[in-house]
Amino acid sequence: MSSDFEAYEQDFGTLTAEITNKIGRIPKLGGEEKTQLVLNVDKQLEEVRELMEQMDLEVRELPIQSRGMYQSRLKSYKGEMDKLEKDFKRSRIAYSDEVRNELLGEDAGSSESQRAHLLDNTEKLERSSRRLDAGYQIAVETEQVGQEILANLHTDREKIQRSRDRLRETDANLGKSSRILTGMLRRIIQNRVLVFVLGAIILITIILAIYFNRQKAFFWSTLRQCNEELD
Amino acid sequence: GNLTAKYILCALLHHAQTCIRNKGSSRKYEEACDIYVRAANMFKMAKNWSAAGNAFSQAAHLHLQMDNKLDGAINFLDAGNAFKKADPQEAVNCLNQAIEIYTDMGRFTIAAKHHISIAEIYESELLDVDKAICHYEQAADYYKGEESKSAANKCLLKVATYTAQLEQYQKAIDIYEQIGTYAMDSVLLKYGAKDHFFKAALCHFCVDMLNARLSVQRYEDMFPAFSDARECKLVKKLLDAYEEQDVDAFTDAVKDFDSISRLDQWNTTMLLRIKKQIQDDESDLR
Repeated sequence: MSSDFEAYEQDFGTLTAEITNKIGRIPKLGGEEKTQLVLNVDKQLEEVRELMEQMDLEVRELPIQSRGMYQSRLKSYKGEMDKLEKDFKRSRIAYSDEVRNELLGEDAGSSESQRAHLLDNTEKLERSSRRLDAGYQIAVETEQVGQEILANLHTDREKIQRSRDRLRETDANLGKSSRILTGMLRRIIQNRVLVFVLGAIILITIILAIYFNRQKAFFWSTLRQCNEELD
Repeated sequence: GNLTAKYILCALLHHAQTCIRNKGSSRKYEEACDIYVRAANMFKMAKNWSAAGNAFSQAAHLHLQMDNKLDGAINFLDAGNAFKKADPQEAVNCLNQAIEIYTDMGRFTIAAKHHISIAEIYESELLDVDKAICHYEQAADYYKGEESKSAANKCLLKVATYTAQLEQYQKAIDIYEQIGTYAMDSVLLKYGAKDHFFKAALCHFCVDMLNARLSVQRYEDMFPAFSDARECKLVKKLLDAYEEQDVDAFTDAVKDFDSISRLDQWNTTMLLRIKKQIQDDESDLR
C-alpha cells in the first residue's frame, strides 16, 4: 500500500513542478501559445486532483495507527495544490512586463526604470524645496529694503514739512516788510509835500511882506509930500 | 603748473598777513578775509587739505573779529571739511567752534547736523566711541527740541547700538523700547518696529533671562504683529535653549534664522555674548 502511496507522491511531485514551471511562463506569452499552455495546465491540474483523490482512498484503507503521518502529508499536498490553483488563476489575469514593454516600446529591466523614476521624483522635490527657500529669502530681503525705504520717506516727510513751514513764515515776513516799506514811502511823500507846502507859504509871506513894505513906504512918502505942500 | 600755483598761494598769504598787520579800516579786514578764502580754495584744488583748512580758519577768525558771525561759522565749516581728510582732531575743533556760533544764534537744527558729523569722525577716524555717543546724544536732544522726531530717532539708534556694545544695557533697552513704541503707531514705520523690539529683547537677554521672557510677553501684548515675526520666534527658541542650557539647540536656531536672512554685525555680537554665557554656565556646572 505505502509503495503505491509513494508512487503517487512522486507523480504528484513531478506534476506540481511542471505546473509551476508552466504557470511561470504563462504571463510572458500571448495569444495562441497562451491558450494552449493554459489548457495544458488545466489538464495537469485535473490529473493532480485525481492523484489527490487516489491518495486519499489509499490513506483510508490504511490501519488507523499509521494514518496520522500520511494524513498530514496529504494535507500539505492539498495546500500546495490550492496554492497552485490560485497562482494559475492569478497568472491568467496578470500581464507581465514583457507584454507591456512590447506595447510601450521600452527597454527591458522594469525594476531599474522604477528605481530611476523614484530617484528622479526625489530630485525634483528637492529642487522645488530649494527654489521655495530661495523665494522666501528674496521675499524677506524685499521686506527689509521696503522697511528702509519707508524709514527714509518718514525722515524726508519731516524735512519737507519743516521747509514748508519755514517758507510760510518767510512769506509772511516778506509781506510784513513790504507793507512797512510802503508805509515808509508814503510817509516820505507826505513829508516832502509838507516841506513844499511850508516852503510855498513862507515864500508867499515874504512876498507879501515886501509888498506891504513897499506900500507902506509909498504911503509915508505921499503923506510927507502932502504935508510939505500944505506948509 | 604746480610750482606757479604754490608761488601764487604764498604771495596771497603774505599779502593777507600784511593787510592784517596794517590794521587799517574794516575794509582791510574784508580784503584779507577774501584773500584767505581764495587761497584756501586754491589749496583745495592742489589737494593740500591741511593748508586749506588753516586758511579757512584764519578767514573765520577774521570774520569773528568783524562781528560777522554767520560768515565766520561758514568758514569754520569749510575748514572742518578740509581738515577731515588730513587731521581729524583739528576738524573736530573747527566744527565745535562752528557749532558754538550756531547755538548762540539759536539755529539748533544745523548745530545738530554738525554734532552728527563730529560723531561720525569719532566713529571712523579717531575711534573714540564715548565721545561719539556724547555727540549723538547732543544731536538727538537738539533735534527733539526742534520737533524732528525721526532725525532724533536716527541719532538715538546709533547711541543705543554703541552703548549696548559697551555693555550699558539698561540705557540701550530704554532707547529701543521708546523707538519701538513710537514706530508701531506710525503708518510708515510699523514694519520696522519688530526690529527694534528684537534688539531690546536681545539686550534684556544679555542682562537676565527672566527679564527677557517678561519683556517679550510685554511686547507681544503691546504689538500683536510682533508675535508673527520670525525674530520673535527666534527669541523664544533661544530662551528655551538657554533654560535647558543647550548650546546646540541655540546654535541650530541661530543658523536656521541666518539661512533665511543674514544677521547683521550688532546682532551677531549680542548673540555670541549670550552663547558664551551659556557655555560659561555649562562649564561652571561641570
